[in-house]
Parts: sequence; structure tokens; C-alpha cells
Amino acid sequence: MEETHILFGKYEMGRLLGKGTFAKVYHCKDLTTGESVAIKVVSKDQVKKQGMMEQIKREISVLRLVRHPNIVELKEVMATKTKIFFVMEHVRGGELFAKLYKGKLKENVARKYFQQLISAVDFCHSRGVSHRDLKPENLLLDENEDLKVSDFGLSALPEQVRNDGLLHTQCGTPAYVAPEVLKNRGYDGPKADIWSCGVILYVLLAGFLPFQDENVMNMYRKVFKAEFQFPPWFSTESKHLISKHLLADPEQRITISDIMRVPWFRKGFKHPLSFSIEESVLDHVEDDKLPSPKFFNALEFISSMSSGFDLSSLFEKERKSGTMFTSRCSASDIIAKIQGVAKGLNLKVGKVKDFKLRFQGPSEGRKGRLSVMAEVFEVAPEVAVVEFSKSAGDTLEYAKFCEEEIRPALKDIVWTWQGDSFNHCSNVKIDGEGCKMQALPTAYPTHNL
Amino acid sequence: MHTLMGCFCFKKLGHKPGYEAPINLASETPFTVNEVEALYDLFKKLSSSIIDDGLIHKEEFQLALFKNSNKQNLFADRIFDLFDIKHNGVIEFGEFVRSLSVFHPNAPEADKIAFLFRLYGLRQTGCIEAEELKEMVTALLCENNMSLSEDVVDLIVEKTMMEADTKRDGKIDDEEWKEFVKKNPSIIKIMTLSDLKELTLAFPSFVMNSGVSDLQQPVKN
Repeated sequence: MEETHILFGKYEMGRLLGKGTFAKVYHCKDLTTGESVAIKVVSKDQVKKQGMMEQIKREISVLRLVRHPNIVELKEVMATKTKIFFVMEHVRGGELFAKLYKGKLKENVARKYFQQLISAVDFCHSRGVSHRDLKPENLLLDENEDLKVSDFGLSALPEQVRNDGLLHTQCGTPAYVAPEVLKNRGYDGPKADIWSCGVILYVLLAGFLPFQDENVMNMYRKVFKAEFQFPPWFSTESKHLISKHLLADPEQRITISDIMRVPWFRKGFKHPLSFSIEESVLDHVEDDKLPSPKFFNALEFISSMSSGFDLSSLFEKERKSGTMFTSRCSASDIIAKIQGVAKGLNLKVGKVKDFKLRFQGPSEGRKGRLSVMAEVFEVAPEVAVVEFSKSAGDTLEYAKFCEEEIRPALKDIVWTWQGDSFNHCSNVKIDGEGCKMQALPTAYPTHNL
Repeated sequence: MHTLMGCFCFKKLGHKPGYEAPINLASETPFTVNEVEALYDLFKKLSSSIIDDGLIHKEEFQLALFKNSNKQNLFADRIFDLFDIKHNGVIEFGEFVRSLSVFHPNAPEADKIAFLFRLYGLRQTGCIEAEELKEMVTALLCENNMSLSEDVVDLIVEKTMMEADTKRDGKIDDEEWKEFVKKNPSIIKIMTLSDLKELTLAFPSFVMNSGVSDLQQPVKN
């Protein structure tokens, strides 16, 4: 008690939060930020014995990609010669299933948690990650009573730390696991997750499990046949939805996009919002009226357009596409063109400044409506630079939007896209004709010349 | 027997020339030991892409940046030269870590501004000359397959010098540079790599072979 234990000079260790045979979870404080975190400590020996090392490594790098308000964030991993430390966001509200000690949940409450669960699962699936082990222990609540799914992708870790609770099934029971997983066949992770989500929704509304039996073999049999019954208080809509989750044939099971179209699900559904840190820093005083676009000086031009200076590509396997392009059209022509294109794509367009536009996607995305800024700068009278940046929404949806909508639509006015010369090696552009030929775009193939 | 053991140990630890212990590099940079170990994983990948000798050669650097080892680029060359602190034509592990540390989101802004100043000073005269600026604009246009008349290039350079060279002596000195960056903060955006904050998640292989002792977890600052 006389000494406080400091991990890696960074985290002050606090009380033990949970304990299993292979892992211990401690409450810790990040000494630099004061933030509270949960650190899961796992013995390397155990991981190696289980032959899990490769899988864990792969899953850590994947987890980096799943930042979502309803997913417990893995902040960092640390290691010594014998131990691995997973530094995670600390979630204070306890387990969702502790709520069920008092009985089943009201439909509205159950729906809210289910919406948040689906939103988290959908986000992960969009990044190629499945949970494969969705169960009560992994569903936590934060201080605002919002759901946080934990251990996404870390299900390979030997034994999850468990606290005992009413609805916890004894170790190894298949209550939440899809039949094809139990059969140990090669299976589709996302489809297995959908099954588990169905079981979870059932439990929230019922207060007990859909597949339950004293005898484990009987339980397996019920799962394999997807044999269950609804208690009388389930609404027709919820019964309908759950039935579409709990189909033994994974191919027949409902998909996430279909779940999101179901009226029962949509009721009061709000996509989690995320305001991106990628917001452009090129912000100037809003009300200084500029008669012409902002001058982009040589060094701004070089810094933003040169691929040789962009070291972030050292960290990526593939070249990412640029977010800036040059144009030979006048700034006002560019603005007019972008406005036209945005309207054609059904986007809501607003002017932030004379040469800065903001547009919003027509529908809700994984992290709310996509919001994109476009600003035109002038390098020289006949050279303009247009910069796109995302100010809100899902990064993946943004990339897709740029690639599939923006790029093709603007090709008439684009001189070169940043970094494109590296993607298509001998791509020599004929410049500057775009502005005059909007009526006949197909007559002038401006790409792949 | 003793020599045999020695041999074995050497082989087991067998680090390539230019390797430096993570613990030393961590003490000099904002990185933790684990982060340096994670960076070693990236370094191994980059330094073995063409010749597996534990050193990053120019071609390997170009391959990593452009996914093409033959792509000559003035700006990549400048970065390479600055990373190559010893000026021996290759980037060693220690040089890699020390140079990247300037790009850490927590690194002092003054360091970033100074690094960029050296980067743009092509001829290392302690300032950025109009001539160098022109050379860089030309290289950028070339990189992006854009052709502009020399007059236009001159105009771009002239306008920039008007803004930056407040002493009107045809070059941007250290003092003018700091002022210029303050007015145009977007210029140093490229000096911050958010990837460096997530090294342990991006390159988790170090968890297998971390050399951090259980008893003496190094205390930072």
C-alpha cells in the first residue's frame, strides 16, 4: 500500500476491476491526460500456449480502425517480456445486463440499446471486423446510459474476464452463438454477429434466453434448429424482426441494411454523430469579404500538393487518393460547377464564403450526415487549387463519395488530382479545355490520354 | 562452450548494423520504448523491401512513398537527405526514429517549423532563396504533370516572396520564415503525422518480442 504502481511511467494503477485465469483488468489513470482507462493485463505465456499470438496481432491492428461511440476504444497496447497490456477506454456504467436483474426492459429502452448495438456492429462490419463473440459480458453502459460494445475483435483472447450475474450462462454454453459457429464450420463472421444480435434483442425484451435447456446437448439441438418461442408480451413487429435474425441458415438471415429499414428499428433512431478532426485548418476570419479567392502562395502550393512530402504514405500499403485538384478554370467557374454537381447529386449546398462551399449528404450515414467543405484558392490567374475536406461523417463513406461521385462529376474542370501522376504512370493531361465544354463532356475524353 | 554460447546469443540478438536500442531512442524522443519497438517493425519492413541490410536506401524510401522505386522526386530527396543525419546515403534506424519524432503530434511546433525551413532550403545556405522557390514550384508542376509558362511560375514565386521576404533581400531568412508560417499555418500541416500516435496498434508485432523488463518499466520524464 505504501507505493503507487506506475505502469510504463504513464499509467497509475488503481483497483482491480475484474479477474480471470489468464487476464486481469485494472482501473488506471493516464498521468498525462488525467483520463481514466481500463488496462487488461494478459500473460504472454498463456497466449503463446493457446497459439493465439498471430491472431491477437492481427486483431489489434484491425481494432485501430474501429472508432465508434458505441465501441469501447482500444487506445494502445504495451508489452514487457512476459505481459501484454491492452489500454482501453474505461466504461463506468457497468453491464447492460445488470439492468435485467429488475426484469425485462420496456420496448423503447430495449430498442435504443439494440439500435446502438446494430450501429456499432454495422460500423465494424464496414471495416471488415466481426465480433464473433457478442454476449452479455461484452455489452457495457457508459455514464450516459449509452451502449459500449467491448472486446471487438479481441474475442480470440483466452477467456474473457467475467463478473457473475443472473443471466450469465455457464462457461461454454452456446446461448448466444450462431449454429454454424457451434458446428465449427468455416463461417461468415458478420452473419454470425447478426444471430447474436437477435438473441440479445430477445433477451432484452424477454428477460430470459431464447435457447435454454438444463441439458447442453438439448440446447445445441435447439440452436441448430433455431427452435424458440416468444413470450406473449412481444409486439408483432419485434417478433417479426427477431425471427429474421434467428434463422439457422445464415444465408437467409436479415442483413444490417435491411434491419435499418425496418420501421420498428427506425423509430427514434439517431446515428451517432462524429465531428472529424480532419476539419481543414485553413480557416480565416469569416466576415472579411474577399472579392477574389485567397491567394495560395508557392509554399502552401508545394506543401499541400507534393506527394514527396506526404510521409503518411510510409504507414499505408496502398496509395490513397488526393483530396486536392488543380484547375485552369476561373475560381467563379469552379464554384459554379461544384454547386451544379452538388445539386445534381442531391446534396444540400451552402456558401461559407465566396470561394468556400459546404455540402451535406442526402441521407444519414454511419456517423451521421456526411458534410464536406470545398475551398478554391488561386495560385496564379490561370491556376486554381481546390481543396476538399470532410467536416463530419464517416471516413469510409467520405472516401467512397470522393472516388465515386466527386471525381467523375468534376472531371471536366480538373487539371490534375494531387498524387495522380503516381497512380497512373504515363498520364499526360491536356490542360484547360474543361470550362468551355460542359455541354459535350463525352466528346472530349480528358482522362487516360 | 563459452564461445558457443556467445555465438548463439549474438545470433539471437543479431541486429543489423545501424540498430540502436529502443530504450536509448525512447529517452531522446517523445516515443515510448514500446513505440520505438513498433517503429522498428515498420523500419524492418521499409529497410528490407529491396535489400535486406537494415538500412533504408533511397530506392526503398521512394518505394514506400510512391509504391514505385524509380520515382525520382525533389521533395522526397530532400526528406531523405534530412533523415540521413550522418550523410552516408542511407537511413539508419536511429536516424529514422529521431527524424520521425519531429513529426509526432506532441513534438514542439518550433522544431517542426525549423525542420521545414531546412527542408525548403535546398542548398542549405541557411535561408530559402527565390531561385530555390522557383526550382521547387517547377518540380511540383512536373510531379503533377502540369505545364505552366515560365512567366506564370515567376509570378507565383514573386508573389510569394512579396509576402514572405519582408526585408526585401531576395531570400527568406529564419526570422521571416517564422512570421510567414504564423500567417500561413497550413504550411506546417505536413509536419504532423497522426499515425505516430497509434504506432502500437498499427504495428503490434512488438508485443511478441518486447525487450522491456517486467521489473524496470522505464519511467518517462
